[in-house]
Amino acid sequence: MADESQPTTALYKQTLLAGLWRENPVFRLLLGMCPTLAVTAAVKPAFTMGCCVIFVLVCSNIIVSLMRNLLKPHLRILMFTLTIATFVTIADLFLKAFVPRMSETLGPYVPLIIVNCIIICRAEACASKNPLLVSIIDALGMGAGFTLTLCVLASIRELLSTGMIFEVQVMPDAFVPWAAMSMPVGAFITLGLLLGLVNIISRSRS
Amino acid sequence: MSKIKHFIEQSWLLIVASFAFGLLIAVADASLDARIKQNEKDKLNNMMKSLIADAKDFQLAIDQVQIEDATTTDVYKAVGKDGAGIGFAFVGAGGGFADKIKLVIAVDGRCEKFLGFKVLSSNETPGFGSKIAIDKPDSDVDFVDQFKGAPAGEVELIKTGRLDVIRKIDSQIVAISRATVSSEAVVRIFNTYTEEIKKQLQQKGLISDGG
Repeated sequence: MADESQPTTALYKQTLLAGLWRENPVFRLLLGMCPTLAVTAAVKPAFTMGCCVIFVLVCSNIIVSLMRNLLKPHLRILMFTLTIATFVTIADLFLKAFVPRMSETLGPYVPLIIVNCIIICRAEACASKNPLLVSIIDALGMGAGFTLTLCVLASIRELLSTGMIFEVQVMPDAFVPWAAMSMPVGAFITLGLLLGLVNIISRSRS
Repeated sequence: MSKIKHFIEQSWLLIVASFAFGLLIAVADASLDARIKQNEKDKLNNMMKSLIADAKDFQLAIDQVQIEDATTTDVYKAVGKDGAGIGFAFVGAGGGFADKIKLVIAVDGRCEKFLGFKVLSSNETPGFGSKIAIDKPDSDVDFVDQFKGAPAGEVELIKTGRLDVIRKIDSQIVAISRATVSSEAVVRIFNTYTEEIKKQLQQKGLISDGG
């Protein structure tokens, strides 16, 4: 984790890239499994969910970092939850107002960002111990890693279940869609295979 | 006194943050609420319009019809280009396989036959129960189409898939294969709402007793 005594460019870069691979919230930390499995039937909802998580992560990390010296240890989780719930509610209202169809598609999974472990984990592990800039960079890195993972998973599922990616036909007309890939079973199988692939790549690298 | 001082010392940040965040949510809600309500209204209007294509406008015919103990719904009158009533539409809701299903149901001007339905919201199983929302599917039973022209009374769900039964316009509705619970839920919503709404329309003189 980033150290407050070393605010260098290298540290910022390291913090930003950590979320993409080394500490990827889905593939390495196995956090945020609920949206990972639930909203990855197609790329559009997966991308929207990723954007919502980035917004909530950045806003909550900013607030937590700003008040880190005022936090009482026994009240910190309550403060984190209060902060996260506020920004999730705002994100939910924004989706309902400007992209109502997507809000319906995502259903209860937007309000459920409140209990997404990635956000409370970053508040506890990073924002409550680091200055503002490092906390923002950490939120952007982790949020980007989460969004990228969701989009990869959703691309595979959407391609195999409909023959499309981002609602654009990719597979030939002769392709027979695999209906199971749009269902929970498809989410578990795809996630399991990707986790295995990430583990193989990590081991071969080390 | 020292206890109060200790309490304030420990919790002042929480109290201040609660007020600040509450205010933030209130501002966001106040600024977006009108748009959210308009989106909901537009969605309902679009659905009613797609069910009664000749309608020029939809006017509230009966406000808050009591259906069950705590369930109420509004009934809208579809007005044609000549100003005459050409149908009615209302929202019906009931428990589905995974979550509550909300339907927009349309009947003709005399409340004699159904004009069809659209799914306002549902969370049924993709590929199975979700077919309640698909008009003219590529394969399988055309569940939605069976309601068009069916007598506006009690409908019955059957589980045979014979094409002659599916295509016949009557009160028998053939269930979607492997989605019986969702099919039953839709039929239950039709049966729960139609009778009461028909009774209310007759009482208000919007349709004749015989019709």
